[in-house]
Amino acid sequence: MTLFHFGNCFSLAYFPYFITYKCSGLSEYNAFWRCVQAGATYLFVQLCKMLFLATFFPTWEGGAGVYDFVGEFMKATVDLADLLGLHLVMSRNAGKGEYKIMVAAMGWATAELIMSRCIPLWVGARGIEFDWKYIQMSFDSNISLVHYIAMAAVVWMFTRYDLPKSFRLPVTILLGLCVYKGFLMELFVHVFLLGSWTALLVKAVLTGAISLCSLFLFVTLVHSN
Amino acid sequence: MFEEASEVLENMLKWSFPLSLVLFLVLVCPLRAEAAHEFSVYRMQQYDLQGQTYGSRNAILNTEARTVDAEVLSRRCVMVRLADFSYEKYQKALRQSAGAVVIILPQNMSTMPQDIVQQFMELEPELLATETIVPVYFALEDEELLSIYTQTQISSSSQGSSSAAEVLLHTATANGFQMVTSGAQSKAVSDWAITSLEGRLTGAGGEDLPTIVLVAHYDSFGVAPWLSYGADSNGSGVAVLLELARLFSRLYSYKRTHAGYNLLFFLSGGGKFNYQGTKRWLEDNLDHTDSSLLQDNVAFVLCLDTLGNSDNLHLHVSKPPKEGSPQHALLRELETVAAHQHPDLKFSMVHKKINLADDTLAWEHERFGIRRLPAFTLSHLESHRSPARHSIMDMRPHVDLTKLSRNTKVIAEALARVIYNLTEKGVGGDLQIFTEQMVQEDQLASLVDWLTAQPRAAQLLDKDSSIVNTLEYYLSRYLKDVKRHLVRADKRDPEFVFYDQLKQTMNAYRVKPAIFDLLLAVCIASYLGVLYLAVQNFGLLYGFLRRVTAPRVKQH
Repeated sequence: MTLFHFGNCFSLAYFPYFITYKCSGLSEYNAFWRCVQAGATYLFVQLCKMLFLATFFPTWEGGAGVYDFVGEFMKATVDLADLLGLHLVMSRNAGKGEYKIMVAAMGWATAELIMSRCIPLWVGARGIEFDWKYIQMSFDSNISLVHYIAMAAVVWMFTRYDLPKSFRLPVTILLGLCVYKGFLMELFVHVFLLGSWTALLVKAVLTGAISLCSLFLFVTLVHSN
Repeated sequence: MFEEASEVLENMLKWSFPLSLVLFLVLVCPLRAEAAHEFSVYRMQQYDLQGQTYGSRNAILNTEARTVDAEVLSRRCVMVRLADFSYEKYQKALRQSAGAVVIILPQNMSTMPQDIVQQFMELEPELLATETIVPVYFALEDEELLSIYTQTQISSSSQGSSSAAEVLLHTATANGFQMVTSGAQSKAVSDWAITSLEGRLTGAGGEDLPTIVLVAHYDSFGVAPWLSYGADSNGSGVAVLLELARLFSRLYSYKRTHAGYNLLFFLSGGGKFNYQGTKRWLEDNLDHTDSSLLQDNVAFVLCLDTLGNSDNLHLHVSKPPKEGSPQHALLRELETVAAHQHPDLKFSMVHKKINLADDTLAWEHERFGIRRLPAFTLSHLESHRSPARHSIMDMRPHVDLTKLSRNTKVIAEALARVIYNLTEKGVGGDLQIFTEQMVQEDQLASLVDWLTAQPRAAQLLDKDSSIVNTLEYYLSRYLKDVKRHLVRADKRDPEFVFYDQLKQTMNAYRVKPAIFDLLLAVCIASYLGVLYLAVQNFGLLYGFLRRVTAPRVKQH
C-alpha cells in the first residue's frame, strides 16, 4: 500500500494550499494566473541565488562533525534575495494590501512545494521502505506556507511609505528573523541535538510566533488609518 | 508578430516532447528504495549426486520476517539464531510452509559454546538430506542484523498475549521487516569442470620402477558452500601432501638420495562429491591411455584425509595387507615410527570392506580399491561418517599445527623408510631421517592459513580459480610433468549437477502494516478538517486582534 502512503503524504502537503486558496477569496479575483507568475519569479530568484552561491562561496573543507557557523550564516544572507523577489511580485500586482500579500505568498509557496517536495515524495514515499521523514516533509510544507504568508506581509509593511516610525524596528527584526529562520533552525538542531519531530515542533512554534507578530503589526497598520 | 510567436511555440513543443518523455519514464520506472539493512546471505547447498537431489531447491525470497516462536509462520521468512537452532524448530517451520529460513551465525564462531557447535555439526547432513523447496540462507551476524532480529522477535512473540485494543494498536504501529533477495531463481550450472592436478617425481634406475601414489582431495564441503572453509577436512591433507612433495623433491634432486620409486602426487577435485576427480582420472589412465604409471607397477596408493588434529592416527584399509607386499611394509614402518619416535601418537589400522550398495563411497582409497589398486587412507578420524568431514564449523582453529607437523613427520619418515628400504638394511626405529629443519612448521602454517582464507567448495572452484592456479604453480615448483585433469558431467546421465545462486544480497526493508496507512489517512483527514475550519474562521482571529489594537488607536 505504498502508493497509498504517497497519497497520504501528498494530500497532507497539498490540501492546506488548496484550502487556503479557496477560502481566502483569491479564486473570486481570478488570481490563478498571477499566482503562476509569482511562482515563475520564485524559480528565477532561486536560480540566481544558486548561481551566486556557486560562484562566490567555496565548499567547506573542514571536518565532518564541525558546523560551519560563519559559512552557513553567509549563505543564509543570500536568502535576502527572497525578500527582493517577493517585493518584485507584490509591486507588479495592483490591488489591496491583503490581495497582494496572498497572491505573492500563495504563488511562492506553491512553487516551492512543487519544486522541492514533489519529487522526493514520489520517489521515496512510493518505495517499500517506510520512513517518517515523508510525513515530516509534508508537515514542513504546511509550516512553509504560513511562513511565506508572514514573510510577504512583513515585506509589504516594510515598503509602505506610511509606516510609523515606531514600527520600523519591529518590522526590521521580523524581516531578519524570516530570512535567518532556516539558519536558526539548523543551529538549534546542531546545538541541542534535537530529534526530527522535536525540530519540527520548534519550527512550527517559531513560525507561529513570527506570523502572529506580523499579523498583529499588519492589523495595527491597516486599521490605524 | 504572430508568425514569430507561433515559431516560438513550435520550438517549445519540439523541446518539451523529449522532456515530457523523460518525465514519463521517471514516473513509470521501477523503484529502488534504500533498505534498512543490506547484507550478504549464503544459500544452503543444492546439488544432485547420481540422480539424487539434495538440499534447498529455491533461491528467491520476498517475505516478511518472523522469528521461530511466532505462531503464524506460513509464507514468512523465519529467522533463527544459531544458539536457538534445533532440528525440531526447523521441521516446525517447514511443516507450516514457511517462505524461507535464515539462520544467523555469529561472526566469530569461537564465541559459541562447544556443545552448540557440535550439535549443529551433527545436524548438517540431516538438513541436506531433507530436500526442501524452501530457500535456506545463512547470514553472519552484525549489529544491525541483530537489532532487526530483536525487533522482529518482540513483535512476533507479543502477538498472542494481550487484549484486543492493544493488539489492534500494536498491529497498526508495529515495525515489520520485509526480506527481499535480489537474485534470480537457481538453475543448474551447465558444463562445470572439476579440476584435478597431478605431478610426479621419477625414480632413479631405468624403466619399470614401482610407483607410489599420494592423493588428497582439495575441496571442502559444508551445509553452505560459501561458508565451507574445510580447514581440517581436507585443508590439512592438502598441506601434508604439498609438504611431502617439497621434501621428496629435495631428496630426489641429489643423486645419492634419488630412490628407486616413482612418486605420483595427485590433488583431486570433487572429493566430497563421491570422489569424482579420482574416479575419472582412474578411468582415463587405466582405460583410455596405453601407458601410464598407474597401469604398471603400483606399490600402493596413500590417500591423506583430515590429519590436522588429535593424537590418533588411523590407517583405513578395505583389505588387510598381505605379508611381504609394499602395503604391509608401509603399515609396519608407520607402526615403527609411531612407536619409537612419537610415543604420544596412537596408531592403528581400521578395516572396512567396500560396500557398493551405499550411496557414496566412504574413503578415497575405495575408488582405487574398486580398480584393484592397493590403497589406504590415513586419517585421524575413526569413521568416515564423522561430522567433522562435512561441516561449515571446520575452520582454521580446528587445525592444531603441532599435531599436523607431527603427522607430517610420521608420514615422511615412514615413506622414506619404505623407499630407501631402511628396515631391511637394519636401520633402527628411532633414527630420524628428517631433521627438525626439514619439516618446516611455518611452511605448513602458511599453507593452512592460505587454504582456509577462502571457501573451497567444489561449486566455487572452476578451472580458472585462483586456488587451482596457485596449487598448480606450487606443484610445478617441486614436481615434473604437472598436468591438469578436467572432469565434466556426462550430458545424458550426469553423475553430479551443481546449482548456482549460492551467494545473494538480502535487503531488509522496514515496513508498516496496511492498517497503519488507513489509520494515517484518517488522522490526516481529521487534521485537514480542523485546518479547513481554522481557515474559514480566520476572520475571528482577525477581528480579535483588531479589537485588541483598536482601543490603543482610540486613545491617541
